[in-house]
Amino acid sequence: MPYVLYIASTLGAVALFMMMPRHGYSPRKLGALLGAVTLGGLWLFLAQHYLEPASDRGITAPAVVYHYIFSGLAIVAAVRVITHDKPVYAALWFVMIVLASAGLLLVLSAEFMAVAMVIIYGGAILVTYVFVIMLASQPGDTAAPDDAPAYDRVSREPAAAVVVGFVLLALLLSAMFATGDSTDSPWLTPNVMAQAPSDELIIEKVLTNRAAQRALDRIGGQGEATVSQTFARTDQLDNTERVGLDLFEGHPLGLELAGVILLMSLVGAVVIARTRVEASQPQEKS
Amino acid sequence: MPQALGSLTLSHFLLTGAVLFVLGLIGFLSRRNLIIMFLCTEMMFQGVVLTLVAFSRFQSNYTGQTFVIFVLTIAAAEAAMALGLVVLLFRRKRTLDASVWSALSE
Repeated sequence: MPYVLYIASTLGAVALFMMMPRHGYSPRKLGALLGAVTLGGLWLFLAQHYLEPASDRGITAPAVVYHYIFSGLAIVAAVRVITHDKPVYAALWFVMIVLASAGLLLVLSAEFMAVAMVIIYGGAILVTYVFVIMLASQPGDTAAPDDAPAYDRVSREPAAAVVVGFVLLALLLSAMFATGDSTDSPWLTPNVMAQAPSDELIIEKVLTNRAAQRALDRIGGQGEATVSQTFARTDQLDNTERVGLDLFEGHPLGLELAGVILLMSLVGAVVIARTRVEASQPQEKS
Repeated sequence: MPQALGSLTLSHFLLTGAVLFVLGLIGFLSRRNLIIMFLCTEMMFQGVVLTLVAFSRFQSNYTGQTFVIFVLTIAAAEAAMALGLVVLLFRRKRTLDASVWSALSE
């Protein structure tokens, strides 16, 4: 069983190495084909071994299709980010990663996180990246204005980087997909942590959370709410309300620290942006 | 394949998160453009976010999703600082090549 994961990791490493930009001929189409075949084969294998039969407890059947679509999009976009010649296109493919992982978060029924991810990553951070790419672009060569500079066309030690990355991936996968017969730890057996819990289980667990319970009483306004009323009210809480309760009831110190970090980075960015640089270097050396 | 339309397990989401993280790592190690290197760190953040939310859903513990808010905070702060530094470095040598800066002294 783990040999399948190792073989898939090796094939993926070979495929990615074929696609990395480097001197001379790089067989990108062949690498893309090999990567797609590897990913599809791995998913087929996992679908036969790690999908539970349809039940009413887990994530339902249509979500499975969406999961495969969004995962495929995210992985393809990630490969394009690290293999594309031009930084602007890499940034645009990164927007695709953000959208695809927002879709995956929707499959996981984390609506607030999905929307926040699109707004903050796709809207704020990526716009900053694109601005900096435009600001820091070199004046192009007049003979061939479409060619990217050499440091974009040739990657640095692609073989070593790919080997390191995929050894790490093989290790992660073999830990994730470890079966119960190899270890006694219930944490690693897929059947224990396999299923998404039902709504009743979520209500039960959330209600045992003391902070959420207190907050519920505060929301309701009546401290003497009976258990059944609290059950009903918890059932009506949506994802945003639950995340908000957990954030403000469970992590107030972290919230303050996040504010301090944002302020510090604001001050730091202003200081960095106002630093005067003497252009002592020869300008035409590129 | 009728069995393929069962219910998803946690491992599927962990697989996607791990692949995103590893691809970001490879990109950070092998690309030479400073901006793309920082873009790859954001990609690693994406993988971590996916893993956190998947654990949060399957363990029905909302602290995982709360932690994503802090990850977003750090990502925003890191983007602001790192891009400011990149612009500063670009103004000194007029290039985005990371290997220009391989010597510690000038």
